[in-house]
Amino acid sequence: MDSISRRIKIAFIGMIVLLVVFFFVSVGVGSADISVIDIVKSLVNPGEVYMGKIIISIRLPRIIGAIVLGGALSVSGFLLQVFFGNPIAGPYVLGISSSAKLFVALSMVFLLGKGVNISSLVLVVSAFVGSLIAMGIVMSLSQKVRNMSLLVVCGVMIGYICSAITEFVVTFADDTNIVNLHNWSLGSFSGISMDHVVVSSVIVIIAIVFTIVFSKPIGAFQLGENYARNMGVNIKYIRIVLILLSSILSATVTAFAGPISFVGIAVPHIMRGIMKTAKPLVMVPACFLGGAIITLFCDGIARTAFAPTEISISAVTSVFLAPVVIYLLVARKEAARG
Amino acid sequence: MDKSIQLSELNVGYGKTVVLNDVNITIEKGQIVCLIGANGAGKSTVLKTIVGQLKKLGGAVYLNGSDKDAMSEEDVAKTVSMVMTERIHPELMTCFDVVATGRYPYTGRLGFLDDRDKAAINEAIDMVGAGKIKDKDFSKISDGQRQRIMLARAICQDADVMILDEPTSFLDLQYKLDILKVIKKIAATKQVAVLMSIHELEFVPAVADKVIGIAGDEVYVTGSPEEVLTGANLETMYKMTPGTGEIICSGLWNYSESIRRLLP
Repeated sequence: MDSISRRIKIAFIGMIVLLVVFFFVSVGVGSADISVIDIVKSLVNPGEVYMGKIIISIRLPRIIGAIVLGGALSVSGFLLQVFFGNPIAGPYVLGISSSAKLFVALSMVFLLGKGVNISSLVLVVSAFVGSLIAMGIVMSLSQKVRNMSLLVVCGVMIGYICSAITEFVVTFADDTNIVNLHNWSLGSFSGISMDHVVVSSVIVIIAIVFTIVFSKPIGAFQLGENYARNMGVNIKYIRIVLILLSSILSATVTAFAGPISFVGIAVPHIMRGIMKTAKPLVMVPACFLGGAIITLFCDGIARTAFAPTEISISAVTSVFLAPVVIYLLVARKEAARG
Repeated sequence: MDKSIQLSELNVGYGKTVVLNDVNITIEKGQIVCLIGANGAGKSTVLKTIVGQLKKLGGAVYLNGSDKDAMSEEDVAKTVSMVMTERIHPELMTCFDVVATGRYPYTGRLGFLDDRDKAAINEAIDMVGAGKIKDKDFSKISDGQRQRIMLARAICQDADVMILDEPTSFLDLQYKLDILKVIKKIAATKQVAVLMSIHELEFVPAVADKVIGIAGDEVYVTGSPEEVLTGANLETMYKMTPGTGEIICSGLWNYSESIRRLLP
C-alpha cells in the first residue's frame, strides 16, 4: 500500500516538474528564440521586454491551450474507458471528435454565410451537440457489437464519414474565414486565441471539478454496473454524468483545436502503468497532467520540427501514440487467449 | 418481525417474458435458504430481480419490512449484499481494494476509508481465510480465491440479507466446503438472512434451513431438505426419467451425511 502511494507522489512531482520545464522550453523555442530570463520578465511585465508581445499574444495562448485541452482530452478518454468498461476507448477512435468537428464546421459555414460572427461558446455548443450524437450512435452500436475492438473499427468509420463530409463543407465554402478551417480540421493549436483559452479553461476546470466530485461512483462503476448498483450507485444517473462530462471535455478540445488523435485513448493507459492504480481520484489529475505534458510536447514538435511550415498536431500524436494503441489491442487479445 | 426479506407474489422474467410466477419466499434472520432447480428454471432470474439487475414484473420485495421500491439506493445497499456469477474485471485492484468496495455505502463523499472501514475489511478477509492474498492483484488469483474475495466483499458490506448465485460452482471440493462453512458462520454469528442458488444437492442438507425447488414456471416445492430432496421431486424438477430420482436420492443422502459431519 505504502509503496504505491509513494510511487504516486513521486510520479506527480515528476510530472509537475516536467510540465514546468516543457512550458518554459515551449515559450522560448520558436521562430524567434527567447531566453528563460526574458520569459519570466515578460510574464511579469510584458511591456519591458522586446519579445514580450510575441510571448503574450502568440505563444502563451497556444501553450496554455495545449496544456488545458490536452489534459481535458485525456480525462475525457479516461471517462469513456470507465463508461465502456474497456481501455480501448477514446474520443478520437470512437468517432466522437470527428463528429464534433463536423458540427463545428457546419455551424461555422451556416452562420458565417449569414454574416453572423461566431463566439467561442457557439463553437463549444456545436461541438458538444456533435459529440453527443456520435456518442449516441456508438452506444447503440455497443448494444449490438459486444466486441470492443469491433466497436473501435465502427468508431473509426464514423470518424471517416464525418471527416469526409467536413472536407466537402470546407472545400466548397469559399469564405476566407472558412479556408482557415483547413488547418483546424486536421487538428492544430495554431489558431487559438486568448479568448478561446479563457472560455475553454473555465469549461474544463468546471468539468474536472465535477469529475472529482463524482469520483466515488465513477470508481464503483469500474466494477461493472451490477456491482455498482449493489453498492448503492444510481446507474442511470452516473451513466448520464459520464456521458456528459466526457462529451463536454472532448467537445471543448475539438471546438478550439480540432480533432487530436490518440491522446484520449493512450494517455490513461500510460498513466495506469505509471500509477499502478485505476482509482479515479488518482487517475483524473494524473491523466490531466500526463495529457497536458504529451500534448504540449507534441505541439512543440508540430510547430518547430519543419519550421516555418507547421504540421498538424494529430500527425505528431499519431506517430508517438498510435503504437501504444496497437500494443493495447494486441495485449488484450493475448490476455483473452491466456 | 424477524423477517429480513420477504418476496410477495413476485413475478420475474426478462423484458416482458415471465419466467416465474407468484414467488413467495420469507427468510428470517440467520436463516439460510437454498434455491434449487434445473438450468434455466429461473433461479438466477429471481436473485437478479431481488438485487435490481432485472426489473420485477409484478409483486413486491420487502426488506426488513419496508418495500424495496420505497427505499433509497443507499439504504438498499446497506441491506442487501450479493455475490453473482458474473465475473468482474477490475483493473489494477488488489484483493483488499475489491473487498473494500463493499464499504461503499458507508464511506464519505470521496470514498476514503476510515479505521472502522479498514477493520471491517480486514475482519471479512480473515473470515474467508484470504489474509495471505489480500495485497495480490485481483486479476491474477485463481477462481476459488476470487470467490472467497467476492464473499469477503459481501461480508464487509454488513448487510442484513445476502444474495448468492451459485457460490460453489466451478470450485473444487475443499473450496466448496470452505465457502459454505463461511456462509454458515456469517448466518449464525451476524444473523444474516442468506438466499442462495446451488446445483450441488449433496451440500444442501448441510447448509439449508429451508429449500425452495423450482419447476415449470412456479415454485414447485418448499420445505426442509428432507421434505424437498425426494426422488419424486427431483424427477419433476430436473425432468428425469421416472425411477431414476429414487436411485439418485439413496446415494445423495449418504453423501450428504458425510458432508454434514464436515460442516457442523
